[in-house]
Amino acid sequence: MSETVVRVAGLRHAYMVGTPMETAALRGAELTVSRGEIAALVGPDGAGKSTLLRFLNALLRPARMGQVTVLGSDAAAPSLDVAALRRRVGLVFQYPHHQLFERYVGDDVAYGARQLGLSAPEVRERVAWAMAAVGLDLDAFKDRATFSLSGGEMRRAALAGVLAMKPELLLLDEATTGLDPGGRSELHTLLRRLRDLEGMTVVLASNDMDEVAELADSVTVLQGGRTVAAGPVRDVFYSADGLQAVGLTQPSTVGIVGALRERGFALPGEPLTLAEVEEGIWRALPA
Amino acid sequence: MASIASLRHVSIGQYIAMGSVVHRLDPRGKLICFGLLIIATVAATTYTSNVLLLAAVLGLVLLARLPVGYLLSTVKPAVPVILILALMQLLFYGGSADAALLTLSWGPIHIVVGRDAVRMVVTSLLRFLDLLFLTSLLTNTTTHGELTRGLESVLSPLNALHLPGHELAMIGAIALRFVPILGEQMESILMARESRGVGTGGSSRWRVVRNAQQVAALIVPLFVDAYRRSEEMMLAMQARCYRGGRGRTHLLESAWRLSDALALGLTVLLVASVLALQHLPFH
Repeated sequence: MSETVVRVAGLRHAYMVGTPMETAALRGAELTVSRGEIAALVGPDGAGKSTLLRFLNALLRPARMGQVTVLGSDAAAPSLDVAALRRRVGLVFQYPHHQLFERYVGDDVAYGARQLGLSAPEVRERVAWAMAAVGLDLDAFKDRATFSLSGGEMRRAALAGVLAMKPELLLLDEATTGLDPGGRSELHTLLRRLRDLEGMTVVLASNDMDEVAELADSVTVLQGGRTVAAGPVRDVFYSADGLQAVGLTQPSTVGIVGALRERGFALPGEPLTLAEVEEGIWRALPA
Repeated sequence: MASIASLRHVSIGQYIAMGSVVHRLDPRGKLICFGLLIIATVAATTYTSNVLLLAAVLGLVLLARLPVGYLLSTVKPAVPVILILALMQLLFYGGSADAALLTLSWGPIHIVVGRDAVRMVVTSLLRFLDLLFLTSLLTNTTTHGELTRGLESVLSPLNALHLPGHELAMIGAIALRFVPILGEQMESILMARESRGVGTGGSSRWRVVRNAQQVAALIVPLFVDAYRRSEEMMLAMQARCYRGGRGRTHLLESAWRLSDALALGLTVLLVASVLALQHLPFH
């Protein structure tokens, strides 16, 4: 059994408590993430994905009910060293322009690393590494004004700013929105590399089922602030009472497999990625 | 975190649907009443007139079914400033020596706290509450669309002077709409900074300086974002053929009803009595 890095149980949360605008965001969310996996968080709009991620970064603290344990510390404990936890948990926000606040890209990427108290050469090295990892050329971008970036470049810069802190746990809130297909697959490669080489654990909130099928090891389905399904990605996507019930589509690969089987094509196993489907088709074809 | 959450508690400019009598009043009438009540608030300097005014305003808040506690809680961040201002007024208002309640002497410094100073402080606080409640009353019970329409027709006499009444109303309404947006934006920037470990490391001795720097650093991104937002809004309006007020009609037309006339009449009566109380021989 691998180590559990995130355990959320029975978490409830409401925004603007005590005002006429009070709204419940989480009504009993559950989440378990093991070290070194890419865990996906899926659910329709307003399911509470972003809220849950904010709890993992201790931006929100359990106020009403529930337990949140992140990297072995109780995120509800009043004595929690919030800053120390945040140094180990990096959050990339849903809207990158909410995240970039320094005037120049280089400064913004360096911001978190500077907060760690690293020396100037170390910070520079981190910034160079992070910008290379997300595919932003250091010399071309470090002196660009953050607000002059395009949507996709902002997305990359925001991610670089978090990567430069080398967090143990990386939280991504719909991180591929605004990226072109090439950028999207680059990001997927990067996340796999971070998992395999750096041992980083990734929690990824996403609406794109194909992306989740391609990338994730486990998946948790949220609806109306409640966890309605969770488990290894294959089990969840191939379970009968799966995603349509909560208004989510299947990954297109699962649809393809279903359609082929309906037509009597004996495809083996439970393929999830396009490569797996292709392999299955080759194997099922008479030689 | 408490500081971040409290930014959301900006009650001004936020419509709260409660469906009360006040919500249903004609926006033009409401605006005129609002203006009259503001005049009364500015004019009221005596105890009696202030008590009457505050009672009336509180009555209106209750009538509109707005949560009084919530409105009051929005003042919390301003309390230190208000207290310092009150103290300054109390100490330095001056006044004649025969009406003095308290005289402090310390070397060459003489501080006289007079009856007038106390009255000034008390009435200032009450009037501050009036202003808060009145502004909340108007913006919490009137949707932005209604407010724009109301402002436009209240300002329409300006058209005769070749002043752009519609545009002024539109600018005013958009400005109000931006209050909660800026609050949310500020919150998200603060969150972004916190999530990357602001306020860690460094000695606590320079914390005040650092906090001041952090607030200053917020202003630039906040304004850049506000500009960009307004630019996008401009494009969105142009894309839907907005060309200013000329020839523009409204989906909803306000109808002036008996209740509106009644509300206006009562407001005029109230303002008149507040002004009359000002001139009574006793305070």
